[in-house]
Formats: sequence, C-alpha cells, structure tokens
Amino acid sequence: MFVTSLILGFVGVFCILDSRLLGRLNFERPLITCTIVGLLLGNIQTGLAVGASIELMSLGLVVIGAAAPPDMNMAAIICSAFAILTDASTETALALAIPIAVLGQMIGVLMRTILSNLTHVADRSIEQGNFRRARSMHIVWGTLLYSLMYFVPIFLAVYLGTDFVQKLVEIIPTWLTDGLNLGSKFLTAYGIALLMSSMLNKDLTVYFLLGFFLVGYIGLNITAIAIFASILAIVLTGLKFRSGPAVATANGAALADDYDPLEDDDDL
Amino acid sequence: MSKNGDFKKYWQFLWRSWAIQTSWNYERQMNMGFLYGIAPTLDRIYPNEKDPQQLAYKKEAYQRHMAFYNCTPQTSAFTLGLAASMEEQYAADRENFNPDTINAVKTSLMGPLSGVGDSFFQGTIRIIAFGLGIQLAQQGSILGPILAMIISFIPSFLITWFAGKLGYTMGSKYLTKLQGGMMDQLMYICGIVGLMVIGAMVASMVGISTPITFESTGLVLQDIVDSILPHALDLGIVMAMYAMIKKRFKTGWLLGICILGGILVNAVGVLV
Repeated sequence: MFVTSLILGFVGVFCILDSRLLGRLNFERPLITCTIVGLLLGNIQTGLAVGASIELMSLGLVVIGAAAPPDMNMAAIICSAFAILTDASTETALALAIPIAVLGQMIGVLMRTILSNLTHVADRSIEQGNFRRARSMHIVWGTLLYSLMYFVPIFLAVYLGTDFVQKLVEIIPTWLTDGLNLGSKFLTAYGIALLMSSMLNKDLTVYFLLGFFLVGYIGLNITAIAIFASILAIVLTGLKFRSGPAVATANGAALADDYDPLEDDDDL
Repeated sequence: MSKNGDFKKYWQFLWRSWAIQTSWNYERQMNMGFLYGIAPTLDRIYPNEKDPQQLAYKKEAYQRHMAFYNCTPQTSAFTLGLAASMEEQYAADRENFNPDTINAVKTSLMGPLSGVGDSFFQGTIRIIAFGLGIQLAQQGSILGPILAMIISFIPSFLITWFAGKLGYTMGSKYLTKLQGGMMDQLMYICGIVGLMVIGAMVASMVGISTPITFESTGLVLQDIVDSILPHALDLGIVMAMYAMIKKRFKTGWLLGICILGGILVNAVGVLV
C-alpha cells in the first residue's frame, strides 16, 4: 500500500505541474489522470470509465482567475484509485473523494497565501542583489510547494483511507476556513493596490474610476473595458497632442501613422 | 542579434510563459512568473554585476517586473516578448525611454489577452478535445485520452510560440521609432488603458461582500450597497490598502492585517 500511495502521489504531482509548468495543457484533467492511474494500477478499463464520468461532470467548471472551487482534479485521482483498489462503483468512489476535493480546495487557499511570502523574500533578495535566489523563489520553491500540495493529501488519503480525511475535514473549524478565504480577498485587494500605487496620479484617477464604474453599473467584462479604453485613449491623444509642438514636425506626423502597434489605429 | 540567438529567445519565451503559474499567489498572482520569464533578457542586458551602475539598473529592472500580473500563459508569451524588446530598447536609450511604459503596457495587455486566451483554451479547445475524448473513452478506447492530449497540446504550443515571437519582433520593429513626444503619447495612452483595466479589476476580481441583515426590517445590507454603488466594498478595501501603501506601512504589517484581519472581520460577521 505504501508504494501504491507513493505512485499515486506522483500522479498528483504530474497533475498539478501541468498547470504550473506547462501552461495548463489539460493533462491535469480527470480523463487523462484517471487513465494514467488505471494504467499504473493495471486496470485501464476502470480508469477510462471513471475518468470519462468525472470528466463529464466537471467539463462545465472553468477555472478562471483567483477562484478556488472544490478541487475535482485531485478528487479524480483518488476516486479512480478507490474504484480500482476497492471495486467500488464510480458514484461511491466519488462520494468518498468529495471531502478530499473540499480539503484540497482549503489547502489550495492556504498555499496561495503562503506563496505571497515568497514574493517578499524575492523582493528582499533583489534588493540585496541576489538575483538567483529571487528566481529560485519561483522555479524551485514554487514548484516544490505546489507539488507537495497535491502529493501529501493524495498520499495520505490512499495510505490512511478516507475515514481519516473525513474526520480531518470535520475538525477544521469553519471560522478558520471562512476567515482565510476573506483574508485571501484582502490579499488580492492589496496586490491590486500595489499595482495602482505605481501608476496612479491625479490626472489619471478619473480613468481608474471610469473603469470601475463601467464594470459596476453596466457589467462590462475586462476585455470590453480594455477595448473601450484603447479607443478613448486614442481619441483623447488626438485632442491633447494634435497641436503640441513636439509632434508637429513633418517627421513626427509621418511617424504618427504607425507609432503604436498595440492599437488598431491604422486608419487614423 | 543572430538568427540563432533569436531562436533561443523564442524558446525561452515559450517555456517560461508556460511555467508562469508556478508561484501563483493571492497577493500579486503571476508576478514572480513574469520575472522568471524576463530574467534571461535582463541578465543578458546587464551582464556585469561588478559594475555598480549596471547592478543598480539590474535591480531596478528586476523590481519592475515584480508587480501584479495575471494572464493566460499561452497568450502571455506576447506580453513577455514585447516587454523583453522594450527592456532592450530602454537599456539602449535610457534618456528617451520612460521605463514606466513597460509596466503600463503589461497591465493594458493582460486583461484582453486573458479574455481571449481563457475563452479559446478553456472554452473552445478543451470542450472539443474532451467532448471527443469522453465519447471514445466511454467506448473503452484508450485513444480517447490520447486524442484529448494531442488536440490540447498542438494549439497551445503553436500559439505560445508565435505569440512570443510576434511580441518580440513587433516591439523591436516599432519601438525604435519612438522618440521624444511619441513616448509621451504612448505613456498617456498606456496610462489611461492601464488604469481603466485596474479599475475594472477592482470591480471583478476582489469579491468582498457583507452578510449583515437587519432582522427587524428584513433589509439585506449588501442589496442596499449594490443598489447605490455596486462593488463599493471592493473599492473601499482596495483604497484602504492603497492609502496604507502610500503611508509606507511595512509589508509585514500589511500581510498580517490581511490574514488576521480577514479571520477577525469574518468571525465578527461584518464581511465575507
């Protein structure tokens, strides 16, 4: 059982590193990981069947931005392992795996909070001129911590059984998990405020508020905001700089046609 | 730069864009990922750490890329390529190039590129690949997962490769023409777009609400807030953080306030 748990833990590492190191090539998806589990445990057919049904269930869940839903990718690995090792049906195995998915989500929130500290270690390293250490915060420590985040729960769940996990989930008080969840929102607010502090000045504050209100009142998404912002910025630039002496030279006017490749201003 | 050298750079853009989420964190999300991506470029530009001038420049550049960043890895390669060429331009012409433009461009691009990238990779490719894959797997064929992997891999690889290449070559081609007044114009445009996107991020990425209800009247406070100014709480918290940053609070304090404050405020039942 120890070796099996170890092997399944490493399937978990493969799963998490897909979205960490490979830009989310979808190798983390239940259909793939369950098949791999089936392959390693010598029962491909069960792996395929469990993978297909969990994949069907979670195909609609899209992870975008900072949201942390129950971790179905982690649950899928444990679920297919139970189905193969204990001959349980997919439904039974999934019911056992759901507490683990919830636990996985909590660990995810905690881990992403801890990783905020690596950012500050990297900040300090740069100040001291230790650039290698700053880079390793990302590529070494980030990889290691995220791998552990999947390896440990999967290893323990398979090695100790699901009863243990269920008890663990019951012990953790809700005030702590809910509180950490709110704390993670505060951290996001802090990160955005840091970005603002490098760009905001008196003249530009209205544009910050404009973007905020357009989402708040009209419900536009960020892509729409960026498109409208670009058009607005180009129009305003035309008004502000047209008579400016700096670009009034013939040379400057000729260059104005293609001076910014990021905006669709070829027709201007 | 030789053809060979460029080829190596494109590989770096590809691989390091894919690896951008390795240290994803709540505070600045993919900041260290972007730094890791652009680090080879910075190391190439400022090779001599013994020279105090270069060392100072290098520190400044590394710090610049520690700012908040979040983007779909595949499309982020475009921003990485562009930012790399901007860093090269800046190093070549420090007098006329305003380095704030680099982060402004990054911030302006991450929203649209994420929007396009997420809906293409998560919304379209994933559904096609796994729709097919599930069907084959249900028939008991191992071709299902294999096909799903292949369909997922090919567009991801091609788009990341060409996005990085396009960003880098476009940057080198157009940015060299920027001089004097042009820089001001670009800076002005990027400032507007960047700040509007940040404003939009405050309203769509933070997600703080209050569970307070007035039992006597049955009024839900959040509904009242929403009817006056939607996402007012998000704005309030971000502005409070902004004020504390401007007051030069120590980072350790701010982190403590975030975590302990989150637990306390939640326990009292004021915010969720």
